[in-house]
Amino acid sequence: MFELKPMLSALWRNKVSAMLIALQLALTLAIVSNATAIVQDRLTSMARPTGMDVDNIIAITFMPVPKDYDMAGAVRADLDMMRSMPGVVDASVTNHIPVSGSGSASSFYLEPNAQIGDLDGNYYQTDPHFINTLGLNLIAGRNFSDDEMHVIGSNESFIGSVIIVTQQFADAAFPEGDALGKFLYHGSKDNPMEIIGIVERHLGAWPSWALAGNVVFHPLLVEGNHKRYLVRTEPGQRDAIFKQLEDKLAERDPQRVIHLETLSEKLASTHVSDNIMVKVLSAVMTLLTFIVALGIVGLTIFWINQRAKQIGIRRALGATRANISRYFLVENSLIAGTGLVLGTAGALIINQLMVSEFSQPVLSLTILAVCAILLFAVSLAAALMPAMRAANISPAMATRSI
Amino acid sequence: MIGYYISLAMRSLRGTPILSALMIAAIAVGVGASMTVLTLNYMMSQNALAHKDDVLYAVQLDSWDPNGAYNRGGRGNEMPWQLTYRDAEALLRSDIPTRQVAMHRFGFTVTLEDSEVRPFVAETRVTTRDFFSMFDVPMLYGNIWNEDADTSPVQTVVLNKALNEKLFGGEDSVGKTVELNGEPFTVAGVIDYWNPSPKVYDLNNNPFSDSEEIYIPFGLHRKFQIYSWGNTNGWNSPDPEVEGYEGHLLSESVWIQFWVELDNDTRKKEYENLLTGYIQQQKEQGRFQRPLKFGLTRPSEWLVLNEVLHDDNRVLGWASLAFLLVCVVNAVALLLAKFLRKAPEAGVRRALGANRNAIFIQHLIESSCIGVLGGLIGICFALLGLSGIRMLSMGQIDQIASMDWLMMLAAIGLAILASLLAGLYPAWRISRTNPSIYLKTQ
Repeated sequence: MFELKPMLSALWRNKVSAMLIALQLALTLAIVSNATAIVQDRLTSMARPTGMDVDNIIAITFMPVPKDYDMAGAVRADLDMMRSMPGVVDASVTNHIPVSGSGSASSFYLEPNAQIGDLDGNYYQTDPHFINTLGLNLIAGRNFSDDEMHVIGSNESFIGSVIIVTQQFADAAFPEGDALGKFLYHGSKDNPMEIIGIVERHLGAWPSWALAGNVVFHPLLVEGNHKRYLVRTEPGQRDAIFKQLEDKLAERDPQRVIHLETLSEKLASTHVSDNIMVKVLSAVMTLLTFIVALGIVGLTIFWINQRAKQIGIRRALGATRANISRYFLVENSLIAGTGLVLGTAGALIINQLMVSEFSQPVLSLTILAVCAILLFAVSLAAALMPAMRAANISPAMATRSI
Repeated sequence: MIGYYISLAMRSLRGTPILSALMIAAIAVGVGASMTVLTLNYMMSQNALAHKDDVLYAVQLDSWDPNGAYNRGGRGNEMPWQLTYRDAEALLRSDIPTRQVAMHRFGFTVTLEDSEVRPFVAETRVTTRDFFSMFDVPMLYGNIWNEDADTSPVQTVVLNKALNEKLFGGEDSVGKTVELNGEPFTVAGVIDYWNPSPKVYDLNNNPFSDSEEIYIPFGLHRKFQIYSWGNTNGWNSPDPEVEGYEGHLLSESVWIQFWVELDNDTRKKEYENLLTGYIQQQKEQGRFQRPLKFGLTRPSEWLVLNEVLHDDNRVLGWASLAFLLVCVVNAVALLLAKFLRKAPEAGVRRALGANRNAIFIQHLIESSCIGVLGGLIGICFALLGLSGIRMLSMGQIDQIASMDWLMMLAAIGLAILASLLAGLYPAWRISRTNPSIYLKTQ
């Protein structure tokens, strides 16, 4: 019913062109499926929840000019001023800006004076307002109290007695799920730090770090030559507050350099390389599919022109228009099918290389199948218009000599 | 003859506008995409120190935790990338290297008395004076600080050209004073524009960021209690006996980058012996408990070790080349269709005496015309692509997302190569056809 035998013999006469189309589809499937796997991996990683109210937070870094500067006093005055501004939900001080790509990490131990068996955690030195400022969700225990807050000089070493950790870090340290009230230690020190609270999530400084989300908070202000604030505003007020803040901070104390950024900007710039990968690969995939489709259109039109006389004869001998269209569509399916089978093999081989040489994600069969089906549909769609045109070739063509 | 073939080719292209446009577009898009990515990879693979590759070495010492090797996300050679301050200070005393640099990144607030310029933070490099001669930094005005400033606190500064323009309107500012963190510093010199990318001398943070705006001597650490603004990595808690900043300087934290210039193999051997001796001596004092290991790495290898060209960039490079390959296969199919359609013309030419080679060459020239046109449009696509990348990268790689003349020529070359490759089979095929068939039917 599909006239397979004459079709195959016709294809055999045009074997080079048919092979070229199949080869294009094979290469396209190999590229597109691997690219999709990478894009999906990056999108998932970028879409990971940060645990914070990223869109409404402003991050401020300031550096005083004078050498002997009352950092603790300045921080207190700035925070009081910012918290009293209308439209500001809360403000807190921090040693690093979350999701910015710069931060501090340390090893934590379950036993005092331990040397081995450590857990790495990203840590922040902040104040009791950090939960409200970041919009974190305290799921167990309590927040720091004001009298647990300590101020130390930049060269002093000090280990506080209380910490708050993320759920992820709590589970890593105490897999039984009973982290609250337990103690952690810094290496070769015996000061216990009690876990007094657990927040649901905080992605930390480096979203692409293998341990991203392992975060520990200390109620501590270390006086250094620069400090950072986070300010959370009412939804929709961020940009207005942003403009006011620079002037207000400079007005309160002009002897310093102040730099403001939004947290969403910081997050976007941390994701830059993933974003480039996603955009460039998507562009390559789209263009590739488009080029292949155009190639199929061009070649099918050419074949049909070449065989116009034969089509006319078939029509004169009683073939319906549908027969003619179907002929070209089935022929195209045969070529596309061959190409896609080759492409599947190619995709799997390339993926092996991608995983072993370039540490890229494994290609799942679902992605491969979806890409193959989509490409098959594209090739059919590309052949459709020329096939319809072929059906319109008049039987009278049979009587003319070209 | 070639002129005639080119005019034939142009006529033939105009004869089949849609098919020709499709082919030119395919080549242009393929060349555009691959040149966008290849330009990025090419710029990322530059080595500003290539001419000194056989004399410069980045120094690493394995002073890390006896319980586990240094590890930065699986990168590198399991040794810390930087040295501790005390090791850097000790190595600086050697006179084996012709030049040696101990340095790190920092930031100062800059203010200028009686000036309109508002206080700002300047990217700073704290370094020994050999930095300028080792990395071929061009001087514009004045000079570098004297040797004593590398070990004792002398408040002197070297500015870069842009900062000198911002502060002093570009005039010779040697001897003038700027305030850094509120303290007066005398300008010793101004460097000319100098911005190697990737920043091979310090790849720790963004290897494509600009080089620093101000440079201050290495002897100022204690006076200003300078901590690194780059990476500081530690594995144990500092000795509680030594308090304060001195404790940081004596700690096992690594934060100093160290480079040496060793003129020949004998010097290199001597320096290796020195490092071995130094580590053994430190071992006796209870430090360096890991197996004896150090690294002397040339700039070209240092760039590879630091993975300046990411796996991601390589993947994009291969993806774009594969894309170009599909475009070429596509062009083969379309050229074949086009040439076969014009087979009767070729038949007439054969019958009139043209030999197979002439037909073959005529068609190859036609396909390289497609290549040249595709290449020119491809350059435009690549420029568009690069500006897209610049936008996506939010200013992080502005310096490298641009095309130089070499890459433009490469783009045309790639396009012609691609189209010749595409034209080879169709041109051969058409030159083999038997003219008699076409003569009969006409």
